Parts: sequence; structure tokens; C-alpha cells
Amino acid sequence: MKNALVLARKDFESYVHSWAGVLVSVFFLLIAGIFFSFFVLGYAKISLEAAKGAYETVQGLGLTRFVFSSFFLNMGSLLIFWVPLLSMRAFAEERKQETLELLFTYPLSDFEIVWGKFLALLGFLKMLLLPTLVYVLILSKLGGDLDWGPVAIGYAGFLLLGSAYLSLGLFISSLADSQIVSAIVTFGCLLIFWILDWVAGVTDGFWAHFFSALSPLDHFREFTFGVLDLSHIAYFVFFHFYFLFLTLRSIETRHWKG
Amino acid sequence: MASPDPKFEVAPPVAPVMVRVEDISKNFGNVRAIEHVSFEIRQGEVLGFLGPNGAGKTTAMRILTGFFPPTQGRVWIGEIELFKKPKEAKRHIGYMPESVSLYGDMKVLEFLGFVARIKNVPRGKRAAHIEEKLQRCGVGEVKNRLIGQLSKGYRQRIGLAQALIGDPGVLILDEPTNGLDPKQIVEVRSLIRELGKERTLILSTHILPEVSMVCDRVLIMNRGSVVASGTTEELEAGLKKAHEIFVVMGDRCRKEEALDILRSISGIDRITVTEEKNDQVSFSMVISRNEDLRPVISRLFVERKLPLLEIRSGRLSLEEIFMKIVLDEKSGRDF
Repeated sequence: MKNALVLARKDFESYVHSWAGVLVSVFFLLIAGIFFSFFVLGYAKISLEAAKGAYETVQGLGLTRFVFSSFFLNMGSLLIFWVPLLSMRAFAEERKQETLELLFTYPLSDFEIVWGKFLALLGFLKMLLLPTLVYVLILSKLGGDLDWGPVAIGYAGFLLLGSAYLSLGLFISSLADSQIVSAIVTFGCLLIFWILDWVAGVTDGFWAHFFSALSPLDHFREFTFGVLDLSHIAYFVFFHFYFLFLTLRSIETRHWKG
Repeated sequence: MASPDPKFEVAPPVAPVMVRVEDISKNFGNVRAIEHVSFEIRQGEVLGFLGPNGAGKTTAMRILTGFFPPTQGRVWIGEIELFKKPKEAKRHIGYMPESVSLYGDMKVLEFLGFVARIKNVPRGKRAAHIEEKLQRCGVGEVKNRLIGQLSKGYRQRIGLAQALIGDPGVLILDEPTNGLDPKQIVEVRSLIRELGKERTLILSTHILPEVSMVCDRVLIMNRGSVVASGTTEELEAGLKKAHEIFVVMGDRCRKEEALDILRSISGIDRITVTEEKNDQVSFSMVISRNEDLRPVISRLFVERKLPLLEIRSGRLSLEEIFMKIVLDEKSGRDF
């Protein structure tokens, strides 16, 4: 496992130095900042109206619920733009530079290669989330009465959703010969998963249940409300390992494809 | 003076076998890339893989490096079976791929540091270890530069440096001098010779003189099988024995008569008419015995009053031997 970390470190550094990594960081932080201030200001406005007498309309809507569930829900939806740009490099870049051959001759098992590449991507996502903790701290210092449990669950849910998406991106990167193709196909797949959420909304009965069970965003929504449910965790863990397994099988195809 | 070790008096020490390939075959779908290849390499030997493009050299080397397993057969690196304990076995292998493509966005030191960590070079020794490889491959002056900005010659040597990291016992180099300028070729060759003294080296090449310059043993592959193998001495002995005789005769009308004479002489393998110009005919023939047939030929020509204009003998070059083996692979003889 130590070797997977060595590989993860190398990949992580390469993401940090790549234009895609810089671009994603800049826009992620910009948009996260805009969303965050937007929701905090929105809450302030609503609270002001409540103070004017319309208290009934906002009763039970706490700061944590209002700001963080909207924040995570929106950031979760936007993940479909960031993930393809991050995961496209994982294997496609190595294939383009023809370094994959070298990597396979180092003392690394196939699993360590896949796991190391995934850890690098997850590490990058965590790095992107780190500055958002500062927003939370500022809000708390300014006197916001935060409920820390749901905030933590929101972050955990975001990382689970991110891991699931990144695994899918990793798998597609292992199939693609170019980064562009990898990014476009990953985006397309994630879009389909996003659309599942809408489809679940417009159908009813069995189909609504079926599509919402498949939709990652539907499972993620519960996390943003601060609800920790084993079935939703199981969904993401399964999603994540399913695509890691497919990635593993995909890089094994060199055995018979040459 | 210490008395000599009795063991060494009985038999000279035989270097241990470092790589043993047992009857490997590899299929890609219905295409058979290599079939029934077996060989052994001892410590301190330099083995050259020779063969035309598509002969299966790269496939064989990829199997040796653990890139993919063979469809059938086994490979041992020292005492370890490569595809049973790949991680352990790969620690003893250093590989330099054919088109040395490296991580262009990394600095030389960063890249070698990564390789050193992957190959488990202890943390305390890492810096000195990398420095030594840098010096040895002559890339010390570019260690802080991005690999992507370096010339092909430098990248080739960085490829060699990364193969050397971790001091593997077996080095596998795919076309190590490909694309270098003449000065660099000389340098890389002398480096290979030096490395071959302590380690086991396998290199593939299509440059024939390189084989005799750096290799102890040669394996000639064609269409996925080993068609000839032997030490360079054995190859050279084979070269000395086999030679060619060229004959130029006037009077083109009597060509058939001359051919009859040449056919009657035993020891001539193959006769070809190389040129028919004006009134002259030129023949060339391959002689596989170590015997000079020129006096016999000239005597017979003179007896029949055939105008013999020129007769000379020439050695078969390694290229010709190679071509002969590859074109006439059924012979499959050992030199």
C-alpha cells in the first residue's frame, strides 16, 4: 500500500502543476465562494423579514440547514464539471506520454496503480474543499450558530459523491486514448446520472422509485440535510468500488490486447 | 600467501543463472506473437536480441519485464518466478523502454526520486543513490530541469538512469542507442559494456555491429521463434568458416558450361548469377566449409579453356548471415 501512496503523491503533484488542475481550483473556489456568500446573505435577508413579523414562513429553518444544504447540493451538482477535468489525466495522460509501459514494469501491483491514481484524485478534491472550511470558520466566528454534526455529514457526503464520480472518471480515463475524449465521455456519463434525478421527479410509482434509487444526487441529498443513512453510504461505496473494479479489469486488458 | 580455495581448483566458478525463460508462447487473440522461446542468461552476461521488425523482440522483452504474462511457459528472475511473485521479482529488473518516453512535466530529480521510492531505496540513502546514477549516466548537469525540455539524448540517458535505480541485477534495454548521435552512441555502448561486467543485461537492437561490440551472446528471432543463438565467438567462428567466392568470366555464351563446372565442385552451397553485362558473366557462391576453393575453380576453368577474368573470395558479413538465417529460417542452425 505504501507504493500506492508513492504513486498518489507523484500524480497529485502533477495535477497541481497541470493547467486543468489550476483551472479547476480557481473556478471551484470562485464558485464555492460566490455560492457561500450568496446563501449566507440570503439567510440574512430572510431572517430580517422574519424579524418584521413574517416569522411563520421561516419557522424551523436553521442557519445550518439553509446555508449548508443549498451549498452542498449546488456544489454536488457542479461536480459533474470538475470531475471530468481532473480524472481525464489519470490514465490518458500516461498513455499519451507512453509512460504506462514503464509504470507496469515497476514493482507495483495493478491494484496499487489503480488505488494510487484514485487517491491522488481524492487528495485533490480534499485540497479543494480545505479552503471552504475557512468560510465555515468565518461564519462561526461572526456569530453564526452552527450545528456542526450536519456540516460534517455534508462534507462526508460530498466526498462520497466525489469519490464515486472520480472512480467513474478513472475508469473512462483508463479506456480513452486522449484526455479530451476521456473528459467528454466522463461528462456525458455524469450528465446521464444527473438526468436520472430529474426523471425520478417527473415519473411516479415504481419508476420514480427506481430512478431515484439509481440517482447519485438523490442519495446525496439526504447527506446535505444532515441525515446519515447506511443505505446511502452503501450506494456510494458500491458505486465507487464497482468502477474501481472495472478500472482494474480495464488495465488488465493489456494481457491479451498487447 | 593464502592458499587457494580448493573449490576453485576443482572447477572454475560458474556464474548463477539470473534469467531463465522456459518455453514461453504469447498469443494476442489468434495471432501468435512468439512461440516456444527458451533461454538462460547467467550473471555478468550481455545478451543481444536481434531480429527484423515484428519478430517478437518487443513482446519477449515485455514478458521479461513483467508487463504482461505469457500465454504459456514460465520466467524465473534468479530464484523467483516472475508471474507468481511479480512485485518481488520486478525489484530485480530495471527496464528502459524503446521510445524512452518519460513524464515530461517532472523535473529529472523529482522523477528519479519517485522511481527510487517505488523501488524501495531506503530514505537515508536515496539522495546519494540518485546522485550516483546521475553521474554515471552523465545527466548531472540537467538534474533540475523539466524532462520535457531535454533533448532525446538526455532523455535516453535518464531512461537508463531510472533503470539503474535500486541496483537491479537484471537490466533490460530496448534499442538503447536508437536515435542518438554518433558520439552519444559510443558513450552509451561503453556504459553498457561497463554495466555488463557486474549485471545481467538483455538488449534488443537492429544494429548488427552493435551486437558484436557489446554482446556476449546473441539470440536471433524471426516470426516469433528463436532461429539462431550462440556466443559472439561462436558466431564469429561461423563467419570465418562461411565465405563467398566471386568469379567473373568472359564469353557469356558458355555460361551453362561454367555453371556445370561449379556445380560439380563439392563444398559449394549456392551459386547465383549476379551480373550479365556485355560479354561477361559474374557468379557468386557461398562456401560453408573452411577451405579455399579458388585453386580448384581456376584449374577447372583453365582446363576447359574458359576465359577466367577475375576470382576473389570475401567473407560473409554479419548482415549477410543474419539475412540468410531470416530468409531461410527453416535451416535454424546453431553457429
